[in-house]
Amino acid sequence: MSIELKLSRINRVYRPTELIEGKIVVKSSSSISHYGIRLAVNGSVNMQVRGGSAGVIESLVGVAKPISIVNKIIEVRPSGKIASGTSEIPFSINIKQPGEKNLEKFYETFHGGNINIQYLLTVDISRGYLHKSLSTTMEFIVESDKADLLEQPVSPEMVLFYLTQDTQRHPLLPELKSGGFRVIGKMSTQCSLSDPIVGELTVEASAVPISSIDLHLLRVESILLGERIVTEQSLVQTTQACIHILLAYIADGDVCRNMTMPIYVILPRLLTCPTVLAGPFSIEFKVAVVVTFQSNIAKMPSKSDPTTPRLWLAMETLPLELVRTRFYEQSNTFTARTELLVAGLMLRPLSSVAFHRPPHVQPI
Amino acid sequence: MEFRPRNYIAEKEAHALPRVLADSHPFSAPSSPSQLQVEVVDDGNEEYFDPLRRSDNNAEASREDLVEIETSSTAGLSGEASIQNPSKEWAFFTRSLMQRFPVSKSVLTYSMSDMIVKGRKTHEKSSTSMHLEELEDPEKFAEEGGKVITGQEYVSRLHELKAELTHAWHANDRVTSLKLSIKVARLLMDTSVLQCYPTLFAIATDILDILGDMVWERIKLKAEFTEDGTRIFSLPENFSVSDICFDAKETCNNWFCKIGAVRELLPRIYLELALLPCWRFLVDQPLNSLRRLVMMTRGLADPLASAYCRLYMAHCMRKLPSHDTGCLLTCVNDLKIVSMRVMSAQETSHGAENRRLVVSLMEPTIEYIMKCIFRNASEKQVGDVLVELGVGLNQKELLGRFPCLSIVLHHLLKQLPSEVVSSRAVEILHLIECSRDDSLDQVIIEYDGLDDYLKVVDAFVDIVLQNHMDDHLSSILEGISKRACTKGIADDELATLQSILVKLLSYCKDIEDMFSMNHFLKILDLMYGNSRSIVNIHILDMGIRKGCIRDPRTIQFLLEISQALHHDENFVNLKDDNQPTRLISQFVSLVDYGAEIESQLAFLVECRGTFGSIRGLKETLIHSSNCLAIKALKDAKHLSFVKSCIAFSEVTLPSISSQIMQLNLYLETAEVALLGGLVSHSDGLIDSAINSLQSLDVMDGSRLPIDADAVLSSVQKLFSFLVMVPGNPEDGVTYFPKNLVSLLNSQSWMTPRMRVKVFCAIISLLAALSQRNLPYHADGEKNLVDAIQQEPSKAARGSMALEACNCIASSLILSQEISSICSNLIETGKSCMSTNNRYLQSTIKFMDHLPDSSVAL
Repeated sequence: MSIELKLSRINRVYRPTELIEGKIVVKSSSSISHYGIRLAVNGSVNMQVRGGSAGVIESLVGVAKPISIVNKIIEVRPSGKIASGTSEIPFSINIKQPGEKNLEKFYETFHGGNINIQYLLTVDISRGYLHKSLSTTMEFIVESDKADLLEQPVSPEMVLFYLTQDTQRHPLLPELKSGGFRVIGKMSTQCSLSDPIVGELTVEASAVPISSIDLHLLRVESILLGERIVTEQSLVQTTQACIHILLAYIADGDVCRNMTMPIYVILPRLLTCPTVLAGPFSIEFKVAVVVTFQSNIAKMPSKSDPTTPRLWLAMETLPLELVRTRFYEQSNTFTARTELLVAGLMLRPLSSVAFHRPPHVQPI
Repeated sequence: MEFRPRNYIAEKEAHALPRVLADSHPFSAPSSPSQLQVEVVDDGNEEYFDPLRRSDNNAEASREDLVEIETSSTAGLSGEASIQNPSKEWAFFTRSLMQRFPVSKSVLTYSMSDMIVKGRKTHEKSSTSMHLEELEDPEKFAEEGGKVITGQEYVSRLHELKAELTHAWHANDRVTSLKLSIKVARLLMDTSVLQCYPTLFAIATDILDILGDMVWERIKLKAEFTEDGTRIFSLPENFSVSDICFDAKETCNNWFCKIGAVRELLPRIYLELALLPCWRFLVDQPLNSLRRLVMMTRGLADPLASAYCRLYMAHCMRKLPSHDTGCLLTCVNDLKIVSMRVMSAQETSHGAENRRLVVSLMEPTIEYIMKCIFRNASEKQVGDVLVELGVGLNQKELLGRFPCLSIVLHHLLKQLPSEVVSSRAVEILHLIECSRDDSLDQVIIEYDGLDDYLKVVDAFVDIVLQNHMDDHLSSILEGISKRACTKGIADDELATLQSILVKLLSYCKDIEDMFSMNHFLKILDLMYGNSRSIVNIHILDMGIRKGCIRDPRTIQFLLEISQALHHDENFVNLKDDNQPTRLISQFVSLVDYGAEIESQLAFLVECRGTFGSIRGLKETLIHSSNCLAIKALKDAKHLSFVKSCIAFSEVTLPSISSQIMQLNLYLETAEVALLGGLVSHSDGLIDSAINSLQSLDVMDGSRLPIDADAVLSSVQKLFSFLVMVPGNPEDGVTYFPKNLVSLLNSQSWMTPRMRVKVFCAIISLLAALSQRNLPYHADGEKNLVDAIQQEPSKAARGSMALEACNCIASSLILSQEISSICSNLIETGKSCMSTNNRYLQSTIKFMDHLPDSSVAL
């Protein structure tokens, strides 16, 4: 006896106002009589504090209560019988009724280090007290509604940045400090999730040969802990988890001086979501440009955070607002800006993130 | 027992295969190597096995060789213009690249090996950190990275990866295909073994191209067919994005997402280049992506890796419908900066040697990109290109200072169409004058020392040659010889001089050109040692390129060069089968005195005296003398000369060390003697041949199987020759066969298989002889049947039995006795083979159709 859920969309991406359609596939050697087939939709924000950055009140660790976004159950079939063999029972369910007021906003699916926004579909075939009920759960992915999408185009604004021996707040190698270096560039401050991060970068001078230049994505997840947030500002405890994701190398080796190189980096779909600034939690992003210089003492630290200040590193961190644009809506016209892409799967999983990763399907 | 009477002419007509016009040469058209595994299905109607149809790895390999030879000849200085098909041209280019920089067998690849052996991710370690590790903890390093593999193994592993990739794809495991191709692209990050890089590049890009084609086909399929396989749309050649359905777009998008997630820059660029044509499914202007990739390549600091990445870019761009010279120009300009950096980084860790190698490895990339720029370029475009590349007066200083730039200039001039040259003569002249003023007349004269002078000349001699600046060339040569005469040539100068002379030689069409160059021979005389020998090799190579050598002066000159080469111990003692000795042998065989056959024989005698120690040369000499004899025979009156030729061969023959070769040459000479009507000579030579056959087993006990086959075929040839030899009245017609039978019976190294073949040959010989003469009754069959039963392998025994049966049945009239032998043999065959074996069936059919068949089957 087996039960399986199949959704109409192979990538399982739905918007809150859309009807989720699919079928329940039951395989059984004998016929099954049941007391009804029910389908439950459950969406919630789970917060969890880990690591040593929790602050003074260690006892608060783990107390953040989950925020429920949606929780509803429908009956697909009244009590009856399922014939032996393979039976397919079609279903359709609204996550959000048009006009229905929901307590919480439908945040986009997100699997972070501390914050987990997840939508689950559960089917349950109850067979009375004598038999164990048949059930299975599947995750589906929620993206922002059309109505919530940004109306105006993504801001083309670019922020200029430059890295020299004087902009670094941490100690540098003596030869770096004395010889000097200058790397300049510009980068977008707002970025659609379906677009690459774009910009450009030039090494103007460097006394010490460069080993590499890479781009890191920093994900800042903040959770508000404590009961009386509004009234007692002092009691507000925020815990921040900064997770870095090495996005891509922009330069490999000691590149030629004064040659402008493009920054063009695709955002990893699973590890990002639109920037969220909700009351009890927030998810924000930053981009760090890290220049690594060649040095005899630079051992490749495999495990530790590569954005940790080190003698042979120079870095600049820039805020980046991620937004959802109308990418999927216009299925047949790719504008010049959305010339590109969504995200990749091939990224190595984050080091210690224990959350369940959704079975994401991207046919290639 | 009685021999069957035969009508050979009628039989030949009956057995001749019908001739069919072939559309293509069986060895041409190198298709995909995957055919290696394809089982060729024989057409069921045909009764014979066609050796050409069998899937045979050796045949395949030799075909590849052929193609490669073809490549090397077309990849010469001017000959490749005829190829139009881009993919074919690319294949030729990569092949010639691999040939130009072969993977030396002894190169050990440390850092590469790990990835390829275990697929672990060692790429993050830079080679410097590897060295550090090695210094700190040599033992650990030996354990971890110690999987040392040779270049050859590396190449074969790459081919395995390629097979794995296509296999995974066809098994619908596209994620694995993608992962494997990322792995392959990552290998290109390692330039630590410089010499291997072009080969690595050629194979890796081949793999990436395969992936790109498969993805293209898959998305095209998605755009044209629905999921259940009905065609909804037929994409025109110049389709636009609006023709593509959402599904296909999304799949395509996912591909770009996946490769966009590769963190390292170089593999990311390579993979996107491989998929570049797929951008057409997503955007109407795929060139924008290419432009971005051109810029992204600037992030690759390694000069070699970035140069080859740009090369692949030029190749991938040709798959797009539109063309953008601007991208290529940016590539060339960036390459110029990179190579200038290589040349100016003299003090760094790169040794001068290394730097030179890097530049020479980069050269083909510039050559190819230049070629792409000028392909189908209009005159106006050419003008723009000249401006864009910044070749003009303002570059004067640069040209003088960085000899590497001459590479760019060189290839630029090579590609410029002739009408542009004429219409823009002034500018071009400026250009050349630039290089002449700065680098030749003025610059060169400043260099008093031979060393510096040579280095500068080395860099510019190509340009001079390219533009046929003959007067200039002679002044350069004069300059060299003047300096060399006064100060002599130091060891390190020799190498540069060698490079100049080799370049000069490569521009000579034949040896006459070389003679006509002033000072050349004088300079050559001043050279010595290894470099001299290398130049000599090139001269010899050029001398024999045009086939027959008739001019006595040339012959004398080349003979002297050959002697000099032969006396250079470094070369001759190196290996038995090295290039100089091959060239000398070829030279000797090509010498042709025309009607003066006496002088030619004298030449052969001289060669025998001079090059006696070269293995294989004596064989050439005997061949030449035999050819000479045949030539003399045609004039009929030179019978005494023919005799002296045969005498020459006879005298030379005993000193040949290889017994099999000796046997064959004895046979050859005997044939010549017989043709000349010298029957007694011929008999003597056959005797010698049989003697050399007799001494075979004395040589060594462990005879290789391939050797045995060679002996066997020689013996069979001997038998067929004997058909023509008139019987000696004293000894009788069966004198030689008898001798041979007793000889072969006494030889311990004869395997049953060989025995069977030999006995079959004897029967055939005797049957043939019997057509005119009295039959010679040897009771061969009994021996034959015994020999068959001694064969240990069952399958081999079966086919031997059938072969013997065929032989006996076609030679002898089927009496009762013979019939029973035949049916015995067929029984043996049946017991050893399956009944539907084709050979068995055809034998049985053959027996059935014999006129007087009484064989009980």
